[in-house]
Amino acid sequence: MLLDAAPLDTSHRAGALDNLRDAGYRVAAMAKHNTTIRLRDPGQMISYVVMPMVLMLVLKPLYVRAVEGGATKVVTGLLVMFSVFAISIAGNAILAERTWRTWDRLRVSKASATELLLGKTIPIFVVMVVQQTILLIYGCLVIGLPVPRSLGYVALAMAIWAFTLLSIGAALAAIVRSHGELSVISDVGALTLSSLGGALVPLSIMPEWAQIAAHVSPGYWALIMLQAAVRGDAAGLLAPAGVLLAIGVVSGTFAVRRLTRGWGRSRLL
Amino acid sequence: MLEAIDLVKRYGSVQALDGFDLSVAAGEIVGLVGHNGAGKTTFVEIVSHLIRPDSGHVTIDGKVPAATRGQVGVAPQHIALYPSITVREHLELFGKLAGLRRTALRSAIDDLAVALRLTDFIDRHAAGLSGGQQRRTQAATALVHRPGLLLLDEPTAGADLETREAMLDVVKQRAGEGAAIVYTTHYLPELTELQATIAVARNGRVIARGTYEELVDGLPGEVRLLLDNGEEMVVSTTEPAATLIDMLGRAERPISAVDVRNPSLDDLYRSLAVSDAS
Repeated sequence: MLLDAAPLDTSHRAGALDNLRDAGYRVAAMAKHNTTIRLRDPGQMISYVVMPMVLMLVLKPLYVRAVEGGATKVVTGLLVMFSVFAISIAGNAILAERTWRTWDRLRVSKASATELLLGKTIPIFVVMVVQQTILLIYGCLVIGLPVPRSLGYVALAMAIWAFTLLSIGAALAAIVRSHGELSVISDVGALTLSSLGGALVPLSIMPEWAQIAAHVSPGYWALIMLQAAVRGDAAGLLAPAGVLLAIGVVSGTFAVRRLTRGWGRSRLL
Repeated sequence: MLEAIDLVKRYGSVQALDGFDLSVAAGEIVGLVGHNGAGKTTFVEIVSHLIRPDSGHVTIDGKVPAATRGQVGVAPQHIALYPSITVREHLELFGKLAGLRRTALRSAIDDLAVALRLTDFIDRHAAGLSGGQQRRTQAATALVHRPGLLLLDEPTAGADLETREAMLDVVKQRAGEGAAIVYTTHYLPELTELQATIAVARNGRVIARGTYEELVDGLPGEVRLLLDNGEEMVVSTTEPAATLIDMLGRAERPISAVDVRNPSLDDLYRSLAVSDAS
């Protein structure tokens, strides 16, 4: 019976595999290209790694005297604050495609909008994760952050936070009209939201109204998530991770819709 | 190859296209000319599937633009390059996005580098290139994957002689290989050199189309005689040879120079402008 059966038609499966391989090739080409761009202009990234390192060193004694677990709080707080600043790296990278007028050139290519965005954002995602990793390692080696019980939780927390930041940055880039506007929104917004979220001053010593208002800040949820990850507290990690993922999905969806339509070119360009 | 029928596009109160029709066969170069705002760039953007028309249809090889991604090469009017990326890296990116791999990619880049005279600066960043070098690089990114349809929007605007020569040579070569080409320009002599079919756009529609000879047929040229005392006789005529003989007979002083100018595309442009205004 088996020998008599007609051979299985796997051509559609092979076609789908070929399409997937081609898509992967295009995403890799875009990612390599964007990595080259990032590496040739590393100034912003370097400053967002060096500045928190210096501040951690300076503020550590204050934190250790003021709150319990001061070393953890100063490292995670400044990590969150300066990773929020890194939103502007994502925003500038995407906005530059508009100012250089290159995005439309890419849209004409064989690559789909999804492939282009993946290739565009993967290197920025990696940059954000690398920034957080360097700061955590520095925190452990120099500031006295306890070595996390579960590296898996920490990696997951960093990945979720980087995804949220990337999505917010992309959404910002999709609505602002210039690098100046992006700079104002990301710098003022980052400082306000991360301070309000307890990244600069521990929440426990902030006024009561600020402790309530902190809940609207993604920085607040990132801090709780990272501190839970460092403690190895899976239950404590879930809720903030959920909030951040939701923020990331909403902003990311908005950015993708906007960018695939060329920034609503009929209105903005 | 390319068929655009009755395209209409409006931006707010601006009517960018108003019944725009254009077809281009494989191996044909269509020179699309017209003043700024005539609708040339909007047409290119619709065919590139960057914007959608309000109404009308475009087909490329019988398919809608969305289904022909990667089969079209577009060099837009404005320079759109990555400042910190080299010419070679630009070509690699656009070649890879079109699906070229290893040997095919290297060979395509090497061929274009020679044809468009990029070799001397192929490893320099785009920000450090002259305007003409940037123009050639931009065109190269549109040509690297040998698309069946090429949309070149003012590819020689502000370019030097070397850039113009290289560009025209490559365009002729690609048309010879069967590519359909839409070439928008304000430099009308380029179109006679390319032996292009000429389409004149005005106020969002194509108002005239034909070969150079067909379009200028019936337009007046100019006969100019310079006399030995510096006096000049100029006559506008549709029969330059007969007019020259007549003028030579009537000249009362020795002639120091004769100039016979056949009607040009500039004359066509002007005559269409006059007829449109009236």
